[in-house]
Amino acid sequence: MSSKIALFFRESWLLMISSVFFGGLLAITNTAWAPKIAQNEINKFNNLARLLLPTAEKFEPLQEKITLELKGGKSVMDFGGGKSIEADVRKGLDASGNCVGWAFVCEGSGFADKIKLVVAADAQFKTLLGFGVLNSNETPGFGDKINIKDGFYQAQFKGIPAASLTLSKFGDDKKIDSEIIAITGATVTSQSVLNILNQFVEPIHKQLTENNLIHP
Amino acid sequence: MADKQLTVGSTFTAGIWSENPVLRLLLGMCPTLAVTTGVKAALTMGLSVIFVLICSNLVVSLMRNLLKPHLRIMMFTLTIATFVTIADLFLKAYLPDMSAKLGPYIPLIIVNCIIICRAESCASKNGPWISVIDGLAYGIGFTVVLCVLASIREILSTGKIFETVQVMPGGFVPWAGMAMPVGAFVTLGLMLGLVNLVTKKKA
Repeated sequence: MSSKIALFFRESWLLMISSVFFGGLLAITNTAWAPKIAQNEINKFNNLARLLLPTAEKFEPLQEKITLELKGGKSVMDFGGGKSIEADVRKGLDASGNCVGWAFVCEGSGFADKIKLVVAADAQFKTLLGFGVLNSNETPGFGDKINIKDGFYQAQFKGIPAASLTLSKFGDDKKIDSEIIAITGATVTSQSVLNILNQFVEPIHKQLTENNLIHP
Repeated sequence: MADKQLTVGSTFTAGIWSENPVLRLLLGMCPTLAVTTGVKAALTMGLSVIFVLICSNLVVSLMRNLLKPHLRIMMFTLTIATFVTIADLFLKAYLPDMSAKLGPYIPLIIVNCIIICRAESCASKNGPWISVIDGLAYGIGFTVVLCVLASIREILSTGKIFETVQVMPGGFVPWAGMAMPVGAFVTLGLMLGLVNLVTKKKA
């Protein structure tokens, strides 16, 4: 038995020492850069949210937990249907501390990869003020048009009702309603954004109402 | 091969031209095709690969006399994964937009055949100096090809280079296909054909 243990250590000592050394190196690196990485995430959220809610001075995370029961389907492939996640919802406050709207992160599967969005809604959560893209890797020249700030696709979401959205291949993209016109050649990406919004907007609205956070 | 058989000059030219990882060995095809829609992304990927190649070659070379044959691939992977993770964290901390743009392709450097190929065929058999030069040369060879490919694709797909510098004249109609995978395959195929033509003529 002791000879087997000796053989094990003789054969694997370098691997064990290297694992400890490299693990330590990664721990030190992560400790050094983790705050900056976290700050980058916060900055990106704040920058996108400020573009959507220009009157907000700061975005305050909620004390209450907003837990969403996901319905499943392609748009939430990353989480799995039937699972629940905690939504990142923040209250947009103006200089005097009044709520001027809401901004929240929502995500789901796109055509090529996961799409992560920042969505803003007005203080009563009746109207969406648009969305910004935190992360996406959609097809260059087609699906990535969802990233264009105030482009044809993003502009359609400004001022629409915070309710279920539908996609159409044809129609008037200037008309402000719940029917969104798809990007030509990127129907899957266009539909994915709608699926993500449909998955998150109404449940978040419901939870905020239940928690008495929305005052009509 | 031992140190005395390899010179700095021959190692350097091998990595950049005669054994160019992309054009001659056809290694690292995944990032070559996937991240060459723009020069900035290609350059970032190339610099990340240079960093990982140099560091992993150096470490593997230093521990080459201690490596057991049955554990060497595991040791290579452990070393490479460490430096790739450091490169990934660095990009997330200091170039967050580029990190988001490159998505999974930076972590995927771990399985890039160029890195493990150099660890196996050079660093595990040579001293640290030659191994570092080898890593630098193969990294530069990879980066140059990525940047050339990305320049062609970016100019033809947007009319610009580095996202802002207008190269093509005002009436130029962008070739959307060049930004898509088909553009990468066609351009790389033409580059490989050109290199084969040049090298055959020389022979």
